[in-house]
Amino acid sequence: MNIDRRKAAIFGAAAAVRLLLFTAFPGLPDLLTARVEISTPVTSFKRLQEGLFLYNHNVSPYDGGVYHQAPILLPLFSLLPSSATYPSFTYLLYILVDILSANALMKIADSGEAGSSKHYTSPRKDKKWTSYAIAAAFLFNPFTIATCIGRPTSVFTTCAILHAISKAVMGASFTSMFALSIAAYLSMYPVLLFPPLVLLCYDRRGPKKESESVYSFVSGNVTAVVGFLYSLLQMSSIITSSWEFIESTYGVQLLLPDLTPNVGLWWYFFIEMFDSFRNFFLGVFWIHLSSYVGGLTLRLRTQPLFVLTMLTGVFAIFKPYPSISDTSLFLAMLPLYRHVFPLMRYTFLALSTILYATLLGPAFYYLWIYAGSGNANFFYAITLVWSLGLSILIADALFAVLRDEWEVGRPEMRGKEIRQI
Amino acid sequence: MSGLLSSGSLLRRNPRLLQVPPYLSFLCIAIGVAWLLLLPLDNYSRRTYISENALLPGQVHTYFAGSDQNVFRGYKREVDELVEKSNAEVNDKLEEFFKASGLKVARQKYEYRSAGETYSGENVYAILHAPRGDAEEAIVLLGAWTNVEGELNKSGVALVLTLARYFKRWSLWSKDIIFLITADSRAGPQAWVDAYHDTHQKGIQSLPVKSGALQGAVVIDYPFDHRFESIHIVYDGINGQLPNLDLLNTVVAIASGQMGIGASLQKMWQHKDSYKDRLTTMLRGMMNQGLGHASGPHSSFIPYHVDAITLQPFGEGWEDEMAMGRVIESTFRSLNNLLEHLHQSFFFYLLMQSNRFVSIGTYLPSAMLVAINFTIMAIFLWVKSGAPSTTNSKVASTDKKSGPLSIIQEGDAKALIPKQILEETEREFFLPLAVVVGSHFLGVLPLYLFNHTPEIMLPSVFFIFAIVNNIFPFLISTALIRSFNPSHQQYQLIKAFSLLFLGMFLSSLATLNFSLAFLVGLLAAPLTYVQSFPNRPITTTLFVILLSLLTPTTVLLASSFYWNLGVGEVLKEAAFGWDVWGMNTQVVVWCVWWPAWVVGMIQLAGKPRNEKPKPEKAAVKS
Repeated sequence: MNIDRRKAAIFGAAAAVRLLLFTAFPGLPDLLTARVEISTPVTSFKRLQEGLFLYNHNVSPYDGGVYHQAPILLPLFSLLPSSATYPSFTYLLYILVDILSANALMKIADSGEAGSSKHYTSPRKDKKWTSYAIAAAFLFNPFTIATCIGRPTSVFTTCAILHAISKAVMGASFTSMFALSIAAYLSMYPVLLFPPLVLLCYDRRGPKKESESVYSFVSGNVTAVVGFLYSLLQMSSIITSSWEFIESTYGVQLLLPDLTPNVGLWWYFFIEMFDSFRNFFLGVFWIHLSSYVGGLTLRLRTQPLFVLTMLTGVFAIFKPYPSISDTSLFLAMLPLYRHVFPLMRYTFLALSTILYATLLGPAFYYLWIYAGSGNANFFYAITLVWSLGLSILIADALFAVLRDEWEVGRPEMRGKEIRQI
Repeated sequence: MSGLLSSGSLLRRNPRLLQVPPYLSFLCIAIGVAWLLLLPLDNYSRRTYISENALLPGQVHTYFAGSDQNVFRGYKREVDELVEKSNAEVNDKLEEFFKASGLKVARQKYEYRSAGETYSGENVYAILHAPRGDAEEAIVLLGAWTNVEGELNKSGVALVLTLARYFKRWSLWSKDIIFLITADSRAGPQAWVDAYHDTHQKGIQSLPVKSGALQGAVVIDYPFDHRFESIHIVYDGINGQLPNLDLLNTVVAIASGQMGIGASLQKMWQHKDSYKDRLTTMLRGMMNQGLGHASGPHSSFIPYHVDAITLQPFGEGWEDEMAMGRVIESTFRSLNNLLEHLHQSFFFYLLMQSNRFVSIGTYLPSAMLVAINFTIMAIFLWVKSGAPSTTNSKVASTDKKSGPLSIIQEGDAKALIPKQILEETEREFFLPLAVVVGSHFLGVLPLYLFNHTPEIMLPSVFFIFAIVNNIFPFLISTALIRSFNPSHQQYQLIKAFSLLFLGMFLSSLATLNFSLAFLVGLLAAPLTYVQSFPNRPITTTLFVILLSLLTPTTVLLASSFYWNLGVGEVLKEAAFGWDVWGMNTQVVVWCVWWPAWVVGMIQLAGKPRNEKPKPEKAAVKS
């Protein structure tokens, strides 16, 4: 009973903080919704309102050229009372989604997969945080809170990804694939998480499927994902009564027609680009993004959960429309690897860089857009710093895990300094 | 490169290197201050120049003279008649004058509430539609009925009326000209600009008539009848934002080059171009920028990216109101030439004379150095908090230094020592983080308190708060020791996080409001050296006294004493700034500086838990 009470206390406190922010500062949700760090063209709550308006007036939501989100969000949000008149229902929905994500995260933490997977057990695995601490670190992370208040639809993707992982560690591969399909359907890029996720499912499969080979397992899951995605897309085409949504949602993610600034690296690059090179570099950027999947999955075959963690981090930097919501997902997964933290070397540096960028980003955006005394380079410079901080963190975490693995084979090297020869 | 990086943690253990940061951070402060003092020298500051070629200042002949002087005298007499009249009556009359000149006139009522007081009035304005334009751009000529000091702006208003009539006769305007007469110099302009951009609060009327995007605004503040000697230019905006330097250069070039009238800044009535005068001008400018208040009616325009200045004639000389009119005529002709918004020249500068300035690239390092001093200490304390502090490790680390390469080879000696040295001790950072973040959130309390207390209670609330403020950190510290009994490491981490946040906030702030960041950084500098000295009561007492002198409340008290103002007055002004102008200085004071100070005091009052019998740890200087 005691356990449930702690969980309830954390969730209750998280919900209370969010409700307090929603109600005590009525201007805050709209302020954060307009921030480019939180809302991107493919997740913005404002654009969702626009799409919803068109949808409710029987116009195709994609006609305005503003709405680029999945069609299934429209009937979902039409069920709620309008957020302009009764905003509290929307608030409650977003709070609920955050809590569901935290719940999934707790299940992942409780499984102990981070410390000891099927093929690898870390010698340091006992040094870990409780699932409560991990859930609290996610729920009280300022980035998560800001995301919740800003209400981008990326929280649904986050929630779906975390559920996919939590189902995978429980061995429920079918449900996991369903959750992944929903995430992929909402934002497309999570489909890249499939390889490590299916391996995680395979490692964690129940005794009934013990005899199944990797190939048949994977092909079964591929079929499942394709099936789910097909039915979701078919459903969407029924909702919007045409297939044009494909172009307006996934097409926008792939081809980047909307160059609104965000915390990522793509927008500035493609503003500066000559049109003749555009397609080439779109290909390069996408190949770069997806190339991490294969490499990390193979190298870290023994720890698929860590591959998933790394990939969420990589996506937070390199995907076309990233926001701090993606960072908050990465920062939610990272504490699962508490046991390798002592091996990390630049945590303080990386976190300070991220914090600095968090403060300087809005300041420079203000100088550029409002005060007029700066220009786009100011903000882009800070997004570079932000990405640098995140990549240091990712690289450092990867180093720590690899070193942890290495020391299993070379116990005499524990605690020694590495050097490049 | 990566070899160098990987030996980073070897460097971390180097005891000699660990001695450096405190001195380094002191050096940063010293250089930061010295840097600022060097700026007025010829080698570091530059002469101003016009960047925007379209402006062509002083290239046109001015025709405002002759019979217009009689018009001015007529208006002057009419304005004199209105001295005792109410705001509405004055505006009726002004509206009549503008209409007689053939302009479209409108009015706007406003009402602000702040610190339990109401500020209300009515603005009147007239729009001259550009004969050669399409109403997409406009320039504003503003004369407030009363100036910042509350004096009646007699000649100023009369001059606006005369110029309105005079400008109407010309067919060369390609931008609309708006003649605005506000009821006062503080709330009126803000109400008008807010309404012009449709961002006005409740209680302020929308503008019935509008024109295009504002390209610039010039304010006349001419409250006396006699002739003047030269022009005082006021340029500071709200929150330390400044107008484009080109606007100021244009006016200076026209006044001194074309008309032969001197220009002065920052109430430096005499400027001998000496080092001392330059420095004083610069420091006064920094003080105005740091306070972030409105220094004139023009200040309200600047947050909207409308470059604006106030012109105040001063002194006894032979220049008459017609000369002032010609300066404005020529300035408007220059602004009329603009093809795009002023953007060429600097937005960040410190002026040391009307024709000498330093740009951001030259002065920013001084504030950044002061901010970086905190970051250096934060990193240092973080590294130190991870290092084990037993005597064993000292011996071992000297061993290791004999040859870094040998580490790998001494494989058989692996068992005991290395793990202890190289593995960092675990940091318990939840409590420190909670203390630091908590104190930052606590800053909302004084912020709310001082912005929402009625004026009469402000002084008493302030004094109660000042007293509580000095006791409160000790209470928190006692509570902290009772309930958590923090270790030495945790105290180090509290300080590390607090300094990290302070450094971070200040360096971000330096890009927005350099002067405020520099001032706060300087006042908070002793916090770098504060820690708990459990066995040294004298040092502790000295530090407590020093910090009590540098707490925001004492500084506020001292500065209001220095400027001969009541504390209540200063706080009322601050609350007014918060409610009306959207001033943010309070946020910096209460949510950045004050929390850092509280954490500093908590450390002074702290007693680290005794883990080892040796007390020598406390004596380590940092």
